[in-house]
Amino acid sequence: MRMMSLALMNFKNSFRNYLSLVISLSFTILIFFNFQNIIYSDGLAVLGAKNKEYTETVVQVISFVLVCFMFFFIWYSTNVFLTKRKKEIGIYVFMGLSNQKIGRLYAIETALTGVSALIFGIFSGVLTAGLFQMILFALSDIAVEISFQFRIKPVFITSGVYLAVYFIFVLKGYINIVRSSVLSMLLGTKQNEYVKQNVAILFVKAMAGTVVLGTGFYLAVRESGNGVNIMGNLFLAVVFVVIGVYLLFGGLIPFVFQGLAKNKAFLYGKERCLWVNSVVFRMKKNYRTYAMACILILCSVSALATGFAMKNRYENVKIFESVYTFQVLSSWPDLGEEVRGIIGENTEITYSAEIPIIALKEDTVAANENFGTYALVAYSDLKKLAENVGLAFDFQEPEQGQVVRASHLSLLSLITDSSHISVTIGGKVYQQTEEITVPYMGYLQDKVSFYVVNDEEFKDLVPLGQKLYTYNYRMEDLNVFETVREELRRFREDVISDYYMGIVSMDPSKDTLEWIKISYSLCIFMFMVFILASGSIMFMKLYNDSFEEKERFLVLRKIGMSHKVLQKSIAAELGAAYGLPFAVMAVSSYFSVHALELMMKADLRIINVVSVLTVSGIFLLCYILSVLTYQRNVGVSENSLL
Amino acid sequence: MKNKVVEVKNLVKNYGAKDVQTKALKGIDLVIYQNDFIAVMGPSGSGKTTLLNILSTIDKPSLGAVILDERDITRISNKELSKLRRDKIGFIFQDYNLLDTMTLEDNIALPLSLNGVSAKECMERTKELGSLFGLTDHLKKYPYQLSGGQKQRGAACRALITNPEIIFADEPTGALDSKSGRELLDCLKRINEEGRATILMVTHDSFSASYAKDVYILSDGMIKCRISRGAERKEFYDRIIDVQTSMGGDFLCE
Repeated sequence: MRMMSLALMNFKNSFRNYLSLVISLSFTILIFFNFQNIIYSDGLAVLGAKNKEYTETVVQVISFVLVCFMFFFIWYSTNVFLTKRKKEIGIYVFMGLSNQKIGRLYAIETALTGVSALIFGIFSGVLTAGLFQMILFALSDIAVEISFQFRIKPVFITSGVYLAVYFIFVLKGYINIVRSSVLSMLLGTKQNEYVKQNVAILFVKAMAGTVVLGTGFYLAVRESGNGVNIMGNLFLAVVFVVIGVYLLFGGLIPFVFQGLAKNKAFLYGKERCLWVNSVVFRMKKNYRTYAMACILILCSVSALATGFAMKNRYENVKIFESVYTFQVLSSWPDLGEEVRGIIGENTEITYSAEIPIIALKEDTVAANENFGTYALVAYSDLKKLAENVGLAFDFQEPEQGQVVRASHLSLLSLITDSSHISVTIGGKVYQQTEEITVPYMGYLQDKVSFYVVNDEEFKDLVPLGQKLYTYNYRMEDLNVFETVREELRRFREDVISDYYMGIVSMDPSKDTLEWIKISYSLCIFMFMVFILASGSIMFMKLYNDSFEEKERFLVLRKIGMSHKVLQKSIAAELGAAYGLPFAVMAVSSYFSVHALELMMKADLRIINVVSVLTVSGIFLLCYILSVLTYQRNVGVSENSLL
Repeated sequence: MKNKVVEVKNLVKNYGAKDVQTKALKGIDLVIYQNDFIAVMGPSGSGKTTLLNILSTIDKPSLGAVILDERDITRISNKELSKLRRDKIGFIFQDYNLLDTMTLEDNIALPLSLNGVSAKECMERTKELGSLFGLTDHLKKYPYQLSGGQKQRGAACRALITNPEIIFADEPTGALDSKSGRELLDCLKRINEEGRATILMVTHDSFSASYAKDVYILSDGMIKCRISRGAERKEFYDRIIDVQTSMGGDFLCE
């Protein structure tokens, strides 16, 4: 009991010191709670069972990522806490306390910190849950009445997960203290006095890092046909990039800085002697933090790109889905009347159109970007279809050796000039003169790449694939959708057994894609969470460092270094601390976003640029805050005498 | 006629509020000429550190003036003070105060390189001072790889590299063993005799003080006496011991 009151007293006395830890832990809890709360709230029910299920899966996946993040975050913050406290509580050795007792004292204090963070986190989580959902559904463009609800289950899950993770690290700290020597406890923070690292080891790490990261980048952007391969590559790429980034910060970057510190002609200019040496010193201790921040912002950029890719897909699919209710694909040329008859018996047909296409064999087409399946349509056929359906049609007939690409909508395409793109069909090179995104072919156009050729060419190219006929209908009365679909299926089975016939039906009553909209909003949240997390990790790390640097700056001021010089040196050093992870992320994000582009077949370059700019803005803000607090903490303010 | 480097006029320093004031310095007058080597001795609480802090611009006096470089340094702005500290004053501290993040070479070159002097000159000066203080083989090492004596000699090099008008040394041998202490004092004496440095050293150790040319004994915030060296250091040391003995435990002058 006396131990408990001592721990309580310590906790109360130095609560201000723990505040940053408590706040950052509660923030993690708040985010996790809010995500869990979505699953158990009524909000999702309005989306229907299927959507709820998908959204829950997405939320669970995100929650898993958050648990991983929580794990590392708690690991990191308890570590900082342990080093800070070790020296202080080490003094108890002189009072005759055993390591076990000191360990217990530490464990109680840390547990108190953890529990206060939990209470604070859950409390603010419950308060913000409504707001979080409101923003989420507003972003997703879904109208839902949000009322204040309190569900106990997410509280239990959040507390359970958090306490389990937290307990591991309290135990780790306890074991660490029990096994510590008296000396190491008293030295506390002064353990890492070795500045330089072995150049040979650094070189090996640098080489390995470059190779691993390069391999990761290569795997991310390698175009290897089918989706399974891309997913496999992507998984490997993620593993390689994570290891590569760690090796880069643990090897190449210190290697370069140690090289710079050796080059005195460079070092003795401006304030470099101060900050370059400081970066070398700090890099050894902080490289894991920098690597973690770098990976987190990379995740953040990827999350945003994923969100936009999903939104893009959603919108595309929506637009292309809504053109026709039924699309029948068959090798039988005269199916039109019969299909029309089946639909016409049940409802009016708003519009309909028939058009022959050539489904090209896979090996006959070589385009500079791989779009999957290719098909050809004749210019005048398409023109007729557009007239029937009432879609705009304002491009010229391609000449011999020219094609017009009819593609699905791509998000903010950067390709404004498509005139230099060529495509090889059956060994002949065709110049692409234009790219159009009018959904002439409806849903099929989202799945298949259509090239419009002139009528003559169309006839000549028939041998390169299979000639199919498409019959497209939009019904007036959507209530009979099910009946019509059934009849069409029966027709396929009974009548057309000798021919190929495919039916694409768009069920208007089922909005099975609402979950994509929520996923999109969740991705934006993840983007913000990851940025804030990496920003706050960097800020916290540098905030802690500034206290360690206090003595060093006092010496510098004593020997007459002006505030201006020291401020410049701090600005340069922290610039490196923020700039390096940012630069590595900016380069890596190109590859990660490109990998997403490949996987989701969307143009995400603008998103890449926008997200990198957003990160740079937030990092700049954190940087300025860090510089100001650092200067204050080390006492480089104009008001002090020294 | 020797040049005045520092002139201290009626220096008073009081601590605390008006009703409970502690007088640390009670009117000190002192002139330091170029190429002087002065040791200030005194028991604890005599005001040594306060005097040094004020002289080295780290603290401000309650009354009086300190003239350095023809300016009263107790009345100039912080910005000018920084410049003064950087250009005119060198510091040697008891606990070396080398930066553990950089090599000895970088530590020595630091003040010069931050002053905007060319890298080439920084390197040349560092090498020269390093060899003068017997540190040539240790320049590439980090402070944690050096002995106390080597660190303190390094700190002396750092103090000297900008060719300051005066060096303030605060118990420079306080943390050293007698051999390392002697080596450092020999170095300081040599550069002083070569006319390269004016030194004011605060010490409580008579042996260290005997390396100086003049010893001022401070007691109760005032200068109680001044002893000047003759030809022999040994004889000077004996005289300091005599004065100390005659003054008794609390250093009172006869």
